[in-house]
Amino acid sequence: MNCEVCQLNELEVEHFEIREVLRCILHTILFHRALGLVRPKDVDLELFEITYVQCGDVEVERKIDEKIDQFIDRVEKHPKKKNQICLSFYEVKNKQATWFTNKVEHLYWEQWYINLNVMQHPKTPSGKSHHSKLVVDPGVEAGGARRVALEASLRDVLFQIIKFVNEKKDHVPSIPNLEGFLFPYEITISRFCIQDGYVQEDAPDTSSIDAQLIIIALKFTLLLSPCREVKYVALCLKVNMIKPTVCKLELYSIVETEG
Amino acid sequence: MASYHGNTASEPAKMEQIITEFFAKSLRIILESRCPYVSSRNYSSEQVLLSPSPPSSSCSSSSFGLRDKSFNLALRDCPAALDNIDFWWQSNLEPMIVDVILVQRSGNWDPMNYLPKRGFARTFSGKEGYYYNSENDEFGYEIESEKIIERWVLHYESKQSGDHGSGVMGNKRAACTSSHALYNKSTLLLRSLYATVRLLPAYKVFRDLISSAQIRAYNLGHRVSSFVEPFTHREEADMQHFVFSPVDTSCGRLCLSVLYCSSVLDISSEPSTPISPQVIHEYVGSPMAEPHKRFISAPVSQSSPSSPPFGRYHSWNYDIYKVSPSSVNLSPSSTYSESCASMPKQLSHRFPPASLPNHTASETPPVHMKDPNFHEYWPSPTFSPSPSPSPSPSPSPSPPAYIPDSHILKALLRSESAPVGIPISRLSTLPKMPKNQLLPLSPSMGTSGRRVSKTDGCSGLYETGSMVDKLFTSAKDEAGKFSGVKQSSNSSSTKSFSRSPSRFSFQDHFDDSEFSGLFITNDDDLTEPSTRPGSFDQPGGLCPSGRSQDTAVGALICMLKKAPPLRPDISITTNLVQGSKP
Repeated sequence: MNCEVCQLNELEVEHFEIREVLRCILHTILFHRALGLVRPKDVDLELFEITYVQCGDVEVERKIDEKIDQFIDRVEKHPKKKNQICLSFYEVKNKQATWFTNKVEHLYWEQWYINLNVMQHPKTPSGKSHHSKLVVDPGVEAGGARRVALEASLRDVLFQIIKFVNEKKDHVPSIPNLEGFLFPYEITISRFCIQDGYVQEDAPDTSSIDAQLIIIALKFTLLLSPCREVKYVALCLKVNMIKPTVCKLELYSIVETEG
Repeated sequence: MASYHGNTASEPAKMEQIITEFFAKSLRIILESRCPYVSSRNYSSEQVLLSPSPPSSSCSSSSFGLRDKSFNLALRDCPAALDNIDFWWQSNLEPMIVDVILVQRSGNWDPMNYLPKRGFARTFSGKEGYYYNSENDEFGYEIESEKIIERWVLHYESKQSGDHGSGVMGNKRAACTSSHALYNKSTLLLRSLYATVRLLPAYKVFRDLISSAQIRAYNLGHRVSSFVEPFTHREEADMQHFVFSPVDTSCGRLCLSVLYCSSVLDISSEPSTPISPQVIHEYVGSPMAEPHKRFISAPVSQSSPSSPPFGRYHSWNYDIYKVSPSSVNLSPSSTYSESCASMPKQLSHRFPPASLPNHTASETPPVHMKDPNFHEYWPSPTFSPSPSPSPSPSPSPSPPAYIPDSHILKALLRSESAPVGIPISRLSTLPKMPKNQLLPLSPSMGTSGRRVSKTDGCSGLYETGSMVDKLFTSAKDEAGKFSGVKQSSNSSSTKSFSRSPSRFSFQDHFDDSEFSGLFITNDDDLTEPSTRPGSFDQPGGLCPSGRSQDTAVGALICMLKKAPPLRPDISITTNLVQGSKP
């Protein structure tokens, strides 16, 4: 089964807009993947004239809000411009422990990357409450044009989701195999993204698929030709497995050093 | 899709059923977000047909008791969709074209005669699936213009026939598991459709129509048909096309697309007319709204359960202290008159009503009549008949707010020329006030904060005089300094009331009831307006001897009580009230 990856258009948001934007995008994606019986719930955004749809599950809403809170916290701690949230759908495979991990193996069949460019903004109280009202920046009036542009961009992102869902249906697991109303999913927060072959400064908290593949390739290389590549592999393995991008970077540097 | 899962029909039959239900579901999704009005049909039978599963018990609306759960998407019933979908049950899956039409009414429509009607004027016939009012909209008003702002096209292209416009599922060819895949993909497509209809511009128009209390000059209609005239180049140039990815099956292809007009938002932003504008007389806080409530909650004392310790009392609260209906403020407010009518009953708790009614006609203190400033500052109709509802006729010790202290002082001092003597006997007939009834006087006053205790044979009027003194002093205080002043337990005539220390208002302090509470006297007890201030020094007089201020106030009171009837002086009181307002 292929893993379809969708990189959503980057959105430039203010700090106080993060919650609404992420809620809108994440719920829209989940609604399209909640193929069990759902009672859709229409939600109107407060900052934009957009109505999105939730799948109507309280637990899902709670989990999303929790992840958004974590994202906001990370943005505040590391006020970097580019931030990314990854929403992944997976199937549980091979529940037995493997070489690399004792965790249950998740076979990802779809990943959504939500890219947010959080504008540098003076620290405002981040509403950690799931039901807190937005703290509107007093200077929002000055960014009316920016807000309109962001609304249009957000709408484009929603249409991008709809188009992607419609164009790619074959990789979606069969609905009768669905346990519950929603496919298993996870939301990860990255401060960077691995795409187009370049790596950003920080590493994700969990191994990306690319990193996992690199490690697998190295291990096979070790088995096939236990020469200098060994130390490459060893070096990689010494590196924290949860930072595959660092691992990758180190590997590149080693290759260059060794010639 | 219980029938899909449960029956043992052939694949083509299953696919046909899936497609048919997909059509119905799509129409339902579109119309429920585009059709502001519901039909009057009973759709219980159709609900069962469309949703074999038992009705959900968690339906949100009693009018939509059953939910269509096909394709795992539980939706409320959409009678408008069900009105139209019957046509497709007997069809051969012909294309379904749903036009969402923006109807603009003529400019001569009368919003006051706005009577929204349920249902539609026409029913569909034949294969047109026509369900729309052409000449008149649902409201019966002449339609000025129509514009198709959305056109949803749903059709199934059968591979057998290769005909784009028709999808006859008469094919009995055995298929593989295409029905299963068709169902899965149809479910996904419906999810996208559900989200898309809420992102298009017409949804905003729909929300405006169903949520706004404004009468709009436009309305949304719909037309469901199998064949429509294509748009002209000009029309199509203004529209955008969004095509959902078709669902391919082994038997054909299920296609869904929409042409929508992005400029519909400009129309929805047109000015609208509010529904039935009317003047609200009984606004919150008005005497008309809650006259009796205010009446009851009039601050009699701090211990009064109905009077909040720091509540603001309005002028109509003091109806309770009105001396008589005739002396009551001749406010045009009916509420006020009602309060006047009920006043004697209220007053019986505090002082004999009989002693009071006769004050105003002949015992208005001359200061009231002579001093325009005083008229301005004394809104009490007891002293100056006023048509305004805010000033109450009852004497109030509270000076009006927002009045410079100097003005008050001047007004009171001028009353020295009109001393009033109040017979003790009269005063003694005043009902004893509760022990802990309070007078709203500032604690910063010299005599405030302590009980007005004039027990040495003084009448309530004497005590009232003290209170007048306090009142006079308090009138010079800033706002928010007032607090209740406890009255002597021996007081038999005065009534006390609590005041809000947080506000010092003209009305609060010169409201009739408060002020009148201090100076509750009988007309018979009042002397001539020309009574010298010194008469107050007499025992049983209004004011303690040697206190010119008390004398002045007492004279003032007498003058007010002897004021002519309210009706002729309505204009004066009105000026007082208007002047008292900040």
